[in-house]
Amino acid sequence: MNIDAYLTEHARKTPHRIALEEGNNSISYGNLEASVSDIAASIGEFRHCRFAILEEMGIQYIKMLMAVYRSDNIAIPMPIEMPRIILEKILDNSHIRNIITTEAQYSKLGENFFKRFGTIVIVSENKPIQFIRKELSIESNHPELKLVLYTSGTTGIPKGVMLSDKNLTTNAASIIEILGLNADDKAAMVISPHHAFGNSIINSHLMAGGCIAMGNMKFIGSVFSLIESGVTVFYGVPSTYRILLRYPDRFKKAFSNVRTAASAGGGMTKQILRNIKELVPGIEVLPMYGQTEATARLAYVPKEDVEEFIETIGKPIPGVTLDVFASKGQPVGPYITAELVAKGDNILLGYLDDEAATKKKIIDGWMYTGDLAQKLPNGYFKLMGRKDDLLKIGDHLVNPREIEKTIENNNKVSAVFVVPVEHELMGTAISLMVIPEPETDIDTLFKFCRKNLPAHLYPKEILFIDHPPLTESGKISNRLIVEEYKNVKNRM
Amino acid sequence: MENIKTSIVNYLKDNSFMDKNTELEDSDSLTQSGIIDSIGLLELLDYISEKYSIEIPEDMLIPENLDSLHGLTNMITSLTK
Repeated sequence: MNIDAYLTEHARKTPHRIALEEGNNSISYGNLEASVSDIAASIGEFRHCRFAILEEMGIQYIKMLMAVYRSDNIAIPMPIEMPRIILEKILDNSHIRNIITTEAQYSKLGENFFKRFGTIVIVSENKPIQFIRKELSIESNHPELKLVLYTSGTTGIPKGVMLSDKNLTTNAASIIEILGLNADDKAAMVISPHHAFGNSIINSHLMAGGCIAMGNMKFIGSVFSLIESGVTVFYGVPSTYRILLRYPDRFKKAFSNVRTAASAGGGMTKQILRNIKELVPGIEVLPMYGQTEATARLAYVPKEDVEEFIETIGKPIPGVTLDVFASKGQPVGPYITAELVAKGDNILLGYLDDEAATKKKIIDGWMYTGDLAQKLPNGYFKLMGRKDDLLKIGDHLVNPREIEKTIENNNKVSAVFVVPVEHELMGTAISLMVIPEPETDIDTLFKFCRKNLPAHLYPKEILFIDHPPLTESGKISNRLIVEEYKNVKNRM
Repeated sequence: MENIKTSIVNYLKDNSFMDKNTELEDSDSLTQSGIIDSIGLLELLDYISEKYSIEIPEDMLIPENLDSLHGLTNMITSLTK
């Protein structure tokens, strides 16, 4: 059974139960089912074609997503918070001919942006579905492809992760099991629905027949009100918790009726756990670990072990096998650091239009996570950093070399080095060290970053340096960059 | 009132995704127009709290007070009274 079939099932059994809430609006399973069927019928002539979905989090977004599933087309949610320039790159590189969006988004991005599409569908509340253009395309896609999710951090062209019905339902079922979700649960979703974590909240709660209350992290007062509306499960990345914990009194009040505070997207720290537990001793804190390439989740720390094992990723979720492999695909023993690999029905079909990358990611049925880890004797796993030079910035995985190249290629600078620096709310932000040219101008650099990089990559500071922090063999390494940064700061 | 507004606009020009030459109407949404994101809003609140020596209670942290120049100036005015 696929995800949208669960929706039909709940609409039949509990048509009046509320499925989604957004501000003062809500929609029942019965009405959601009817809207999804309407939208699906309007694109029913398309046969397994790629449909970009362009809309912010909300009831409309979920209607469109389910409708693309139901019409047996391929849903490609656009990471709408990214700068326009990145959205355009994604769209053009993934050869998407069809888009489904709202009137507001259509007028915001303008006709020029939509020129690249053969088909443009506009879905608005209380108005008939409208086609700006319609051009049936014939596409040949992976037969099981249902959803393409983009990873969140990169500045260049993010990779599209291809997922199937089986991926989605297996991972949602595992999440339902570890969180003990049922139809009486109300989830608070304040993170982006366009990436793996947010998408998994939609899938698992709709599959369980419960309610999802949607908001965003912009207005803290509204977030607390949303939690106080009867939420039983709250989802956040570590920075979400860091931000909410700045208001301890209200946190205590708002979370007093929440059963589970789940976290993913980055390691939950001892400090965050301690702060939550001090304010709300009875709450179950559930740290989870995963990747977009695993649909969402791979591992979790069971509640009875959270205090003791907060610095591990815990054990695999049901249906997943984890192991640690040395370079030749051989499993290693406990306490030996090597690459974490995963197997299960939630592992991606591959990367969209990128066979070479797929072959590197999945070898002999095992997915290579790129994370270094150790096995512990009790069967838990502990992360030991990245195999590559990727950094976690504001809970997004980013490639610093890519950011450096983007800035270098578009500005008058000799060289750029990305430094991870502490940030009170995001955990980690970036600063830039720049080897200037005579024309280099700091304001212009800041401006370029604003326009061309995702918000979490806006540099905290830009420092000029006079020689590159390279290894003896002339290579760039994060470790040397951080050392040089400390030296520069000490001299200031 | 005008002073408060000017200092917010100047802050936004230096610290947000707003261009130096953007003309901002009093009622324009700061979040919808992409001028500020959630972290940026919190930083703006820290700036305001310090500059006007006010504490903003979290139940005031709602779109009506934060999402426009109009809302922000009204909120600051009412808290500094």
